[in-house]
Amino acid sequence: MDSDGKIQELNTAIKEALPHMRKVAEDNPFAKVLVRVARFAAGASWVVDKPTAVEDFRWTDLDADGVTDLGKGLDLVASELRIPPMTDRALPPVLVLVSDGQPTDDWESALGRLMALPWGKKAVRIAIAIGQDADLEVLERFIGNKELKPLRANNPETLVKCIRWASTAVLQSASAPPSQSRTEGAAPAEGNVPIPTPPPEASGPATSTDVW
Amino acid sequence: MSPVFRAGDEVEVNGTSLRATVLDLLGEGGQGEVYRAILHGEDVALKWYHLAQATPEQRKALERLVRRGPPDKRFLWPRALVSAPRRAPQSFGYVMAIRDDRFASIVDLMKRRVEPSFRALATAGFQLADSFLALHSRGLCYRDISFGNVFFDPRTGDVLVCDNDNVTVDGSRMTGVQGTPRFMAPEIVRGEAAPTSATDLWSLSVLLFYLFMVHHPLEGRRELEIKCLDLPAMTRLYGSQALFLFDPSDPSNRPVPGEQDNPLAYWPLYPDAFRTHFLRSFTDGVRDPAHGRVRESEWRAAMVSLRDAIRTCPSCSAEAFIGAGAPERCWSCRHTFGPALRVRLPGGEVVLESGTQLYRHHLELNGLYDFDGPRAIVQRHPQDPSRLGLKNLGGSSWTATDTSGQVHEVASGRSVSLTPGLVIGFGATTGTVLS
Repeated sequence: MDSDGKIQELNTAIKEALPHMRKVAEDNPFAKVLVRVARFAAGASWVVDKPTAVEDFRWTDLDADGVTDLGKGLDLVASELRIPPMTDRALPPVLVLVSDGQPTDDWESALGRLMALPWGKKAVRIAIAIGQDADLEVLERFIGNKELKPLRANNPETLVKCIRWASTAVLQSASAPPSQSRTEGAAPAEGNVPIPTPPPEASGPATSTDVW
Repeated sequence: MSPVFRAGDEVEVNGTSLRATVLDLLGEGGQGEVYRAILHGEDVALKWYHLAQATPEQRKALERLVRRGPPDKRFLWPRALVSAPRRAPQSFGYVMAIRDDRFASIVDLMKRRVEPSFRALATAGFQLADSFLALHSRGLCYRDISFGNVFFDPRTGDVLVCDNDNVTVDGSRMTGVQGTPRFMAPEIVRGEAAPTSATDLWSLSVLLFYLFMVHHPLEGRRELEIKCLDLPAMTRLYGSQALFLFDPSDPSNRPVPGEQDNPLAYWPLYPDAFRTHFLRSFTDGVRDPAHGRVRESEWRAAMVSLRDAIRTCPSCSAEAFIGAGAPERCWSCRHTFGPALRVRLPGGEVVLESGTQLYRHHLELNGLYDFDGPRAIVQRHPQDPSRLGLKNLGGSSWTATDTSGQVHEVASGRSVSLTPGLVIGFGATTGTVLS
């Protein structure tokens, strides 16, 4: 991510989301929530490499860097989704990809390698685009579910909401799905986890036909 | 999402000139936000719907619920609709009583944050069945019985039923709330049915199973064989291949020791007469949703009998049960039980220990359940604590006939020594003391 303050926005958004994430995990009778964090810029590395119980998880501020090696990031995550180190029994992992730019490496074959893994396929994949420069098509390919669009965070407040939604509502749905509703004429939910409704400001495509 | 209201904002209570003032945000969920507010000097809860949920149908349903009023006092029922014409004109909400801090959730029980006695659990089970019977008797259907909507006082077993805004007329709506995964009836999970009072009965029995076994009735070996418990796997486990842990004709889904220990520990503690209700709920109740499920009135009777069957271990004071199928040794200290002092009444046997109370439903034929005014209480003899007596708390005398045939009158306020063979005439019924 470049150095116009977006990375600092992300640091804040995650720190804002953490207490809510802990609360959701604490009230969940079915699951143990573990978190880890990878960063990709020039190359990719684990920021938090051990799966860490969310109550013990502390966020270390990231700083900005030049390029966007998404492919290396996906490969890094894929290496941990293999069995082992993953156990063969688990709730669907939730992968949240946060990006503000165009990938600068071969991300497509890395995505293919991730999706070839059983836990890659089963993972709930969420993507959050920060600012106008993020490549939405890349993020849509990562999500791989036409019903679920990348969330767009064009300002710090929306980013806070997006991160909080992904880390609480989606997390809850992947482990202890809450009360479900059916609306008139709606098709049954697709995919392997019922995805809750995203924050309204962050959903929907930004096209010239937007009405206001 | 940022809350709609800030402290100090006001909402209008529809149909009145009253206003409620928002104090703080208590929580938020898929449907909306819940605030603490103050109305007429009283703290109330204010639920405010997200725009997408603020539909004309929801408004109509709420108006109907407000008009009808709660089935009994255990429901935190919508009291009045509220609106905020300036701050959020497109949505609406309602006010209800606020949940007292003494109530815990079933998640608290699962996480061992509360440790209620069996007596409190049986009382909670009784009250749950009693309240849902009151709701269903009014032609209504709850649609979403689950962990999040029902609370209980771990000390007394008092129950509170929350989130009543999804209640509809039974069988009236295919859309709307379908239930919470793990609690939905198998036919809803399979997509074959919408919520009705029959599917409420399933969810109630799952909730009761959680209360008494601290586990889900279908999560046995088959759950452990699932690699990824996602939506398709849940549809199989809770829908198309639903199989009870203790299904007598198919042992393939038994709990696995070391992984699913709660049901293995709790199931053997209860008498057969109690367990059989779960057996029916999760075997016949899967095959025949309309007729195979245990009715609330049956659960109510089962919970009262279970309360009456509680005995205290004389060695370690742990609670255990009498009755066929219940263990003869204490689960806690392995003490071997002798026969319990008890009274046989037309409705069944009641263990008699210091403090045991007998109520109207014990002493009258077809007496309504009434735990408010005890008619008799077991007390120790003031001079000889080893002797137990039954004190008459009712208005009329009893007759007690001992084994020698001698008849004694037990006037109101007096006690009779409890000795095996004693026959007590309570008026409408007769009880025999056994040991």
